[in-house]
Amino acid sequence: MLKKIVTAKTSLLALLCCLLGLSAGADLAGAEGNGASYNYSYWGTAVNAPPAYMPTDLYRGEDMGSGALKDPSDLHVTADGQIYVLDSGNNRILKLNEEFKVQQIIDSFLLDGKQETFLNPQGLFVSGDKQLIVADTGHKRVVILDEKNELISVLEAPESELLSATFQFQPIRVVMDHAQRVYVMATGVFDGFMEFNAEGEFSSFIGANRVNVDPVDYFWKQISTKAQRSQMIMFTPTEFTNLDIDEEGFIYATNGDEWGQNIKKLNAQGSDILRRTGYYDPQGDLVYTSDIGPSRLIDIDVTDSEIYSVLDSKRGRVFTYSGDGHFMYVFGGIGNQLGEFNTPTAIDRLGDDFIVLDKALGEITRFRATEYGRTLNEAIRSYYRGDDEAAYEWFNKTIGLNANLEFAYAGIGKALVRQGDYNDAMKQFKRSMDQRNYSKAFLLYRKQVMREHFTLIMTTLAVLVIGWIVFRRYRKAVKRRGLTV
Amino acid sequence: MSKEWVRYPLGLILHPFNGFWDLKYDRDQKQSVILSFAILLLLSLTNILGRQYSGFLVNIYDSRYFNSVMEIVYVVVPVLFWCVANWSLTTLMDGEGKFVEIFTSTCLALTPLVLINFPWIWLSNLLSLQETTFYFFSTSAAVIWFVFLLFVGNMTVHQFSPLKTIGTILLTILAMGFIAFLCMLFFSLMQQIVAFITVIYQELAMRK
Repeated sequence: MLKKIVTAKTSLLALLCCLLGLSAGADLAGAEGNGASYNYSYWGTAVNAPPAYMPTDLYRGEDMGSGALKDPSDLHVTADGQIYVLDSGNNRILKLNEEFKVQQIIDSFLLDGKQETFLNPQGLFVSGDKQLIVADTGHKRVVILDEKNELISVLEAPESELLSATFQFQPIRVVMDHAQRVYVMATGVFDGFMEFNAEGEFSSFIGANRVNVDPVDYFWKQISTKAQRSQMIMFTPTEFTNLDIDEEGFIYATNGDEWGQNIKKLNAQGSDILRRTGYYDPQGDLVYTSDIGPSRLIDIDVTDSEIYSVLDSKRGRVFTYSGDGHFMYVFGGIGNQLGEFNTPTAIDRLGDDFIVLDKALGEITRFRATEYGRTLNEAIRSYYRGDDEAAYEWFNKTIGLNANLEFAYAGIGKALVRQGDYNDAMKQFKRSMDQRNYSKAFLLYRKQVMREHFTLIMTTLAVLVIGWIVFRRYRKAVKRRGLTV
Repeated sequence: MSKEWVRYPLGLILHPFNGFWDLKYDRDQKQSVILSFAILLLLSLTNILGRQYSGFLVNIYDSRYFNSVMEIVYVVVPVLFWCVANWSLTTLMDGEGKFVEIFTSTCLALTPLVLINFPWIWLSNLLSLQETTFYFFSTSAAVIWFVFLLFVGNMTVHQFSPLKTIGTILLTILAMGFIAFLCMLFFSLMQQIVAFITVIYQELAMRK
């Protein structure tokens, strides 16, 4: 009997311990953000947020009608909703319609009358006028085809004094701008992207990353001999990991930098012009465990209104930022459920939906916006357009769905300033920790108050001054009388 | 009498050499100690109110971690550490100051921090971002004034030369670090002992 009670007690204790462990674990997961939706507050802590995107469909090669995909590595969606998938392992390109059904398979083209194929191509891009640019990595060339899949030109290893004699041209990602210039990201190139002009000639490198030197390594290098130094790893700039181009021709690029800026927006000169006016710089995860480390961004997609998304290969998450650098939402993760990936490799937007390509599984996952996601997208868009009225409405709706979204209050505040309600605007800016705009609203408010109460303030001042003078005279008089008496 | 309570610290911050001389040789020590505690209290109050009510443009703080008790601790503990460290050092270095004198001179030196920062709690609410320069200028001026008074007070109380005072002050800061380290060591040791005893108690209690 006694023994029974004891065992019951111990099992209860064990259960309690388990419960304690569970709750502690949940806490930790919350801080890391376990793939569920979250956002980062002004204070840099992860706060819960409603999911902005939910996985709805999963497409395999068999569903598309093309047979299984083998190591697909890139995809691109055109403005009219055609999806190009680069099926690298099978050396072909699938052209899908919006329902993800194969319309066409491109696996060869005519070069000088000969049928040519691709060899392990790694990147593709479709320009506004439907030119298809393929980074044919295995053949060390970039192939440009027109809408009817007829060859326009082939970019091969350029000859230039900028390049060393042993240079191997291995293009892995490509984009093309409106002026038909092609930007190529190639492996082993540390000087930035290779820019080819419309005639297909190599013109220059653009946007090299900076070298990041570990102080400890630097110290050891300084005190070692020349022979030792030659054995050490060279300090080289980090390579880019991906690129995309927006409607205005700016290149958005990601790199594998762990310390510096891993997202960049390059202008024609190659300088970084990304706006970083959010609470912290866009970089993927802000809070992470040291064993996994910071996010490694491997794809970037820019859509209208300067909204851009990046893909973190370490945790399989897709982060989306507004043009001002505010973190909008995150979704995805590594795992086996729908909406989680094994080796995510490329993202793109299909309208307002996201599609994510998984390399090892050869699958495409489609995410559709929830009400929250739609509202937030619309809020950012109307704000970007300068439509304050609409922005006010949408941001208010967003706050209704997620009161933790701090930067949305600033959106409301700006609309309130426009309406002349300065005091309420100040409150909103305070909520979003926006000192600059708070100050602007405050100056207007101060002016307004001063103007309204000008007579009162001046009267009080005058009364005080006169009162003081009278008081001093009176005291003097009293003193004098006191002396004479 | 009551006027004297206010007039003395105000006179001291403007004429520190005379003021601290009076403190050491002429004034009633009991009164100075009461005054010192009053200043410490006022400074704590200023800091608490400042945290809570200063304008948004000069004061961003995480309200989840706001703790009035800690604000008091942030005032009292450094002063205490300073006094103990300074006293320990100066007794070895032929300083003439007693502990009480060190304490009162240190606290009286804090007066500008109260006088300047207190009105700014409310004034900072009437500033725009560009005008916050005035705020930061005056708060830094208050700190510099405080450091100067601390220096003069220490010099007068111990009857040191200026150079020796600077040396003592630097050493005192070092000694404060040591004291803080020892305190941490002590507390963590105590914690472990307490934890050890509780575990033993739990073991005994659960044996039945």
